Amino acid sequence: MVLPLVLLVVALCAALTGWAAWFVARDRAVVLKQLWGGAVIEGAIVLQMIVAGVLAATGSSASDPVKLWGYLITALFILPVAAVWAFAERTRWSSVVLAAAAVTVAFLEWRLWQIWNA
Amino acid sequence: MTHPENPETAPDPAGTAPPSGTPVQPAPGGARSTGSGFGRVLVLVYGIFAVSATARASIQLLRDWHEAPIAYGLSALAAVVYVVATVALARGSRTSRSVAWTAVSVELVGVLAVGAWSLLDPAAFPEATVWSDFGIGYGFVPLVLPVVGLTWLWRTRPPQTPSTEPKDLA
Repeated sequence: MVLPLVLLVVALCAALTGWAAWFVARDRAVVLKQLWGGAVIEGAIVLQMIVAGVLAATGSSASDPVKLWGYLITALFILPVAAVWAFAERTRWSSVVLAAAAVTVAFLEWRLWQIWNA
Repeated sequence: MTHPENPETAPDPAGTAPPSGTPVQPAPGGARSTGSGFGRVLVLVYGIFAVSATARASIQLLRDWHEAPIAYGLSALAAVVYVVATVALARGSRTSRSVAWTAVSVELVGVLAVGAWSLLDPAAFPEATVWSDFGIGYGFVPLVLPVVGLTWLWRTRPPQTPSTEPKDLA
């Protein structure tokens, strides 16, 4: 899983959270550009899955691969689902939804890191 | 308010709700939807807990069932409660509202009971559940969530009993 990748996703999530929070402060709904930001995070998570798969194949897998993949798959699904859910609401609350989803992905990354090092 | 130089901003429906809470979508009978406005955030958080509790309970029940059947059974109960609450709050119909009241109340009792139990008898909980130690592993969100949920259900209640809804009579 490698620390840099976890830090990358957490940094991207922090950036998206900040962007969404700024929109909350400005009383604005989520815009399409923010979803592209979410797509970048998705790409980074897919990269993590590839790295985790390669590491597992070469024998250096985490102590609890079931949990690891559970967290990876959950992390992958949160932003797309939240994006659809947020976009249906055209008020500032949609920005709160996006911010909450990004914070959740960052939290899952932290747990991933713990599981990887367990 | 919105700035005119931002063309991406969707036209603001009446529901850009200030905290005082104008109805985002006026439902028939004056009830406010439980799944829009702030409720949309609430449903998202419930959804996240539904998914994570289900995932955690599945692993515990399928793989580690023998370790602590009661604790892991309660983990599964938590998962079911979160799933039911998520769906009920998202739907927001009259029936869903009653279901949500029940589910969120069970959730509150559950987190308090399991939280206390896990502190008094840690041996019964070899691995954490969502509700262990009042949800400390999740930043105590499991403890706060049912209180917020009940408050939200109360604030969005339909004005069925006139005596409790002076705002609508005025």
